[in-house]
Amino acid sequence: MVNKLIVSNILHRPIRTAVSALAVAIEVAMVMLFVGLANGMLHDSARRVEGVGADIMVQPPGASFFLAFSQAPMPIKIGDRLKDIPHVLAVAPTLVLFNSVKGLDMIWGIDMPTFNRVSEGFVYHDGGPFLNSYDILVDDWYAKARHLRIGQTISLLNHDFRVSGIVEHGKGARLFISLNTAEDLLQVQEKASIFFVKCTDPGYADDVSEAIRQLLPKYQVLPVKEYMSMMTSNNLPGFNAFFTVIIAIAVGIGFMVIFLSMYTTITERTREIGILKSLGASKGYIIAVILREAGLLSVVGILVGYGLAALARKAILGAYPTLSIELTVEWALYAALLALAGSMLGASYPALRAAQLDPVDALAYE
Amino acid sequence: MEPIIVTRDLKKVYRLGKVDVQALRGVDCIVQEGELVAVVGPSGCGKSTLLHILGGLTGPTSGHVLVDGNDFSKMTDADRTRFRRHTIGFVFQRFNLLPTLTARDNVAIAQHIQGDGFNPHRFQAVVEMLGIQNKLDHRPYALSGGEQQRVAIARAVVCEPKILLADEPTGNLDTENSQAVLSMLRDLNRGFGQTILMITHNPEAAAVADRIIHMRDGHIISD
Repeated sequence: MVNKLIVSNILHRPIRTAVSALAVAIEVAMVMLFVGLANGMLHDSARRVEGVGADIMVQPPGASFFLAFSQAPMPIKIGDRLKDIPHVLAVAPTLVLFNSVKGLDMIWGIDMPTFNRVSEGFVYHDGGPFLNSYDILVDDWYAKARHLRIGQTISLLNHDFRVSGIVEHGKGARLFISLNTAEDLLQVQEKASIFFVKCTDPGYADDVSEAIRQLLPKYQVLPVKEYMSMMTSNNLPGFNAFFTVIIAIAVGIGFMVIFLSMYTTITERTREIGILKSLGASKGYIIAVILREAGLLSVVGILVGYGLAALARKAILGAYPTLSIELTVEWALYAALLALAGSMLGASYPALRAAQLDPVDALAYE
Repeated sequence: MEPIIVTRDLKKVYRLGKVDVQALRGVDCIVQEGELVAVVGPSGCGKSTLLHILGGLTGPTSGHVLVDGNDFSKMTDADRTRFRRHTIGFVFQRFNLLPTLTARDNVAIAQHIQGDGFNPHRFQAVVEMLGIQNKLDHRPYALSGGEQQRVAIARAVVCEPKILLADEPTGNLDTENSQAVLSMLRDLNRGFGQTILMITHNPEAAAVADRIIHMRDGHIISD
């Protein structure tokens, strides 16, 4: 019977219901999309580093394991010493550059022969390796997003680059230029931001890592497996704070809309609450009716939010194919719990207020 | 036999802003079980306040109220609510049906709130007695005033309350519907021994009662 009362109340005020549910839906979609985007980009970045095919990464002292923050160069000659370590098959020096003009792009300056030895070479969808200094390789997702073809020029780092090849995505960066060009652009010589080390067998990764640590005690030596396990939001500075802020904003929106919705509902339905009280409904009964109504609005909003998140993801990835958004069941449940908790909190005060209404005053309410 | 309603020196003072309004100034009355009593008097004489106190909707400021042996002046708000749920039925001038529910659900919700669950036999008996079988699927806005009041009476009596309190039950009805509603109240009283306390301005309505209590300025002036 209470369910009938709640459903009939919700259906009786379709605009209020739609607005309240939509607010909860936006809350849920916002949490799922922002977290999904952050985690998606993080995991995509990690997968692409794994896709290089190296077993170990060597970075200068104090460098961040998050490659996007690593530009501190180290002498390229270190690579020669790394090659001499037993069980090392190949070492690929890489210089990381950033383009912040018209977007944010990470560009890897690579020595093609050594990078190919580590990564077993690019898979070319079109074109081929660099022929000139200002040639560039782009991956297929980047090419699709920017509608690039072989021979076209793109402007990066205040220079025009000719697209010489479109390669399969998943090998580190989305943009590759020659190491020499990268050094020229950074005005450094014989420097690298990172060395990708490939072992003769992945089983030697720990032994080789230990040998590198002995050789270069101050340098950061990170087996790729360990790197993958570290690429979580917990290990990245500011990520959890970012999540917290996004969640707080989203829950705040849901809380306020449900609060206002239920508060105005209580005012509108003062007389009905008086009727229920005249029939002997207890305070608990009144509170339960209000909270269950808010709960039902939330459930509708959560389901709409899931749909909204899926549609928004499709639209965003259609417009920006290089992005990655991971909509996970875990975060879907978490977003639902947050939305429900926010709604219950938002409905609590109106529910308590309704329960405390004087039945005589409520029955006389016009 | 113990009277079902006893009030002694019952007083009620309302605070309106900074002004105290004495709604009841010492009401003494006794109602026996099975009586149909009409309370009449001008607006503001305290008859609605008396009805609200007897229904447990509000507490007295002082004095004693014994309803079915329970002293309201010693009961908490929650106790009075529980008592009302099982013992009191209300009928209002403005019907006070829940607008989003059908007539059927408006009646059934009283059984639900009482907590004994839906009793189909009692429900059927009541709706047949009040002649609203064909109106059960209608919402209040689709019912005439007389039909709404019949649904309201059904809701009030479906849980078999010991006392039915009616606040101007014919106040919003035309003559024909007023007669029908009064007839139903009388039938409930005569046929089932339902104790009814009815507030009314209408002399014809008061005429159906066994007793008429006249109130003025918060006092009973004749009984």
